Amino acid sequence: MIDISRRALIGTAAAGAGSLVLPRFAIAQGDARPSITVAVQKISNSNTLDVLREQSNVGERVFFSSLWEGLIGRDWLNGLKKVPLLATAWRRIDAQTVELDLRPGVKFHDGSEMTAEDVVFTFSRERMFAETEAKNRSTLKAFEKIPTPKPGKELPVEVPAAARRAWPDLIRVAASGKYTVRFVNATPDVTLEGRLSRYGSDIMSRKGWEESASYLDWARKPITTGPYKVVEFKPDTHLILEAHDDYWGGRPPLKRIRFVEVPEVASRINGLLSGQYQFACDIPPDQIVGIEKNAGFEVQGGTILNHRLTVFDKNHPVLANTLVRRAFTHAIDRQAIVDSLWAGRTLVPKGLQWIYYDDMFVSDWEVPKFDPKLAADLLKQAGYKGEPIPYRLLNNYYTNQVATAQILVEMWKSVGLNVQIETKENWTQIMERSPTRAVRDWSNSAPFNDPVSSIVAQHGPNGQQQQIGEWTNAEANQMAEILETSTDHETRKKAFRRMLEICEREDPAYTVLHQNATFTAKPKSIKWKAAPAFAMDFRAGNFAL
Amino acid sequence: MIRYLLGRAARALLTVALVVTFAFVVLRMSADPALVILGPEASPEMIVAFRKAWGLDESIFVQYLDWFRAILRGDLGISMRDGRPAIELVAERIPATLALTIPALMIKIGIGIPAGIWASLHRGTMVDRAVMGLAVAGFTVPSFVLGLTLVLIFSVWLGWLPSGGQDNWVHAVLPIVTMGVGGAAILARFTRSAMLEVLGQPFIRTASAKGVPWGRVIRGHALPNAAIPTVTMVGFMVGTLMAGAVVVESVFSWPGVGRLLVVAVSHRDLAVVQCILLVVAATMVTSNLVVDFLYGFLDPRLRSGARTGGH
Repeated sequence: MIDISRRALIGTAAAGAGSLVLPRFAIAQGDARPSITVAVQKISNSNTLDVLREQSNVGERVFFSSLWEGLIGRDWLNGLKKVPLLATAWRRIDAQTVELDLRPGVKFHDGSEMTAEDVVFTFSRERMFAETEAKNRSTLKAFEKIPTPKPGKELPVEVPAAARRAWPDLIRVAASGKYTVRFVNATPDVTLEGRLSRYGSDIMSRKGWEESASYLDWARKPITTGPYKVVEFKPDTHLILEAHDDYWGGRPPLKRIRFVEVPEVASRINGLLSGQYQFACDIPPDQIVGIEKNAGFEVQGGTILNHRLTVFDKNHPVLANTLVRRAFTHAIDRQAIVDSLWAGRTLVPKGLQWIYYDDMFVSDWEVPKFDPKLAADLLKQAGYKGEPIPYRLLNNYYTNQVATAQILVEMWKSVGLNVQIETKENWTQIMERSPTRAVRDWSNSAPFNDPVSSIVAQHGPNGQQQQIGEWTNAEANQMAEILETSTDHETRKKAFRRMLEICEREDPAYTVLHQNATFTAKPKSIKWKAAPAFAMDFRAGNFAL
Repeated sequence: MIRYLLGRAARALLTVALVVTFAFVVLRMSADPALVILGPEASPEMIVAFRKAWGLDESIFVQYLDWFRAILRGDLGISMRDGRPAIELVAERIPATLALTIPALMIKIGIGIPAGIWASLHRGTMVDRAVMGLAVAGFTVPSFVLGLTLVLIFSVWLGWLPSGGQDNWVHAVLPIVTMGVGGAAILARFTRSAMLEVLGQPFIRTASAKGVPWGRVIRGHALPNAAIPTVTMVGFMVGTLMAGAVVVESVFSWPGVGRLLVVAVSHRDLAVVQCILLVVAATMVTSNLVVDFLYGFLDPRLRSGARTGGH
């Protein structure tokens, strides 16, 4: 392919770095489609393109919807609703079984057709589960042959662990025809369809796996069904994707997408303004105004499926008193944080839940209201005498983390809480169990549209907060069990509401601050819409010049 | 002289051993790679499995012994992120780093030393003040500020040069200039100071009074005597060839050893960090050894001192 550079005058700068702007699109000869360069802070934390190994937000950006696809997908541009993707229909056989009809004629990047055999292999021990067992499984292991991985094809330990976290009770995936598969769970589970739509349940080519020399070779160039295929992946440097013209969803609008890793924000913005990149991702909120002063550019994006939290350790002598933790939650003016640090471009959610939970969303739930007087009264009732409460803080692991912490400390101080920031270098120090562990930052995601994916996964009996001994509550754990095992919608929804009441009000495990957001800058001349996620949709219908 | 050099070599080996041991201990004490690599939302099972797979559940002493034995076998470990031998990852980044640091070093030497000599020979004049003014500006401006300023001018405003990346040689221009300017400024100041000190010595006045032409006085007497501090500084710059571009590589998204180090430290990719530190320490001590050797050539007093036991 011979690339010809084309420069077009986009606009003039309004201030500072604003200047003549020359975006350059490479147009392939004989193929009218443009190629673009997307500057990101990080392409992949794990240096692989394996959905089960790269479990990060940055991975989501390059994976979806360009590379990996699941049987059930998310409508990235319309509220993240579940949509048919590689499966055209699905039905419940019973409380433990889902049957799916596969989309016929779907081609992998190597030209072979996707069949039920590929789906079964995707969920096999060889690819996913290795020797891990379903949580509630009690039989059959002795009779089942667990294959020994071929040399070089051993799965990294994170992969089966991540797979089991996504599918704790899956015992079998079986083909019942060339285009029909059944997923069988050990226990009744209403979230099977949600789990099928989640990050990590995406389908790969069995042939692609078998023809790779090693796991790493495969993980750097997986053969999947997405609209773009991997041409070259140079870890920490760039990822080049090329149009998969046999894509079942229509010919992709771009010839090539080149993701380049540009760790510095200023370098990403300068590269965008100079026309070297067509998209600059991971733009901090305080840079949005500066970029948009340039007439030819805009910043898109917004909330993602991730909430920022303040987390409590109820073993701390002061925080053992529920009233003190409740005072923390009422002393926060969350909207002020959103307006001042996020330029109003995110929101205060209704607790640890997302609208895409659909009929499990508790619409009348709210985060504790900002009421400094109530907070001060609670402290008085608690007999709090101003004892210092440590707040372990990382240096901007999360966007605006330090500034948020400073604001929080002042808000807490104004109601009488003596919170002292202790800056830490890493998560080990943050989580270290000791008498000084009290308050820390965290964020929680919802990989699929059910509370099981967030409040249960993170704060339930097997969630990190209880596993590291920060917090536990017997009734909340009962509710978590109901959410995981009950098939009755009303019972589950009641259990979810009760769990919210316990975790966010009665015996606070955490308090939600705001929804997280991500921002992408681009020339206005590119017609493209950002999804409410890290994922960047470059399929037909969402890119035009 | 041989005994002198052998002593220096032994000290160099000890330095390398201490550096990598220090790095080994500090890296393991400061964070758990399992949590850093897998992230704060990783499940407890994932963390346990990761620690076991990489031997992080052993005591630090056992880990150190295993690592040391492996080094003796020539095995510098496997990258936890990449799954490949750490030395392979580092080796494939070295050419990219040298592609910046060697031309930058040539700029530093090619501009810094002549500018310093020129300024010293025109002491107190406008030329001297101009050169020193530029030199002060050159080494006081941090490289990331200079780099971003150059990007703003040459990429954003003028559109002449790319702002980052490594597609072809044009992408190397701004990072090389950024690195070269600061180093040239430092060398100019060092060279000027050394020259001024030498020019004030009695043997220069004597040579001049005996009627030796001024050009010969400078070339034959002043320059060789002023060379030692300059050679020391150049030696240091050669020593930093491998890891001296950490900031510049980050600003210009240049995939060299410096960026690999930053990424490896932030992910606690232990084998890679240790491998880079080993390479950097080895480069630095080798460079120092060469400088020590050059001292002997440049200053006969050191040579004879070495022969008589290094006094």
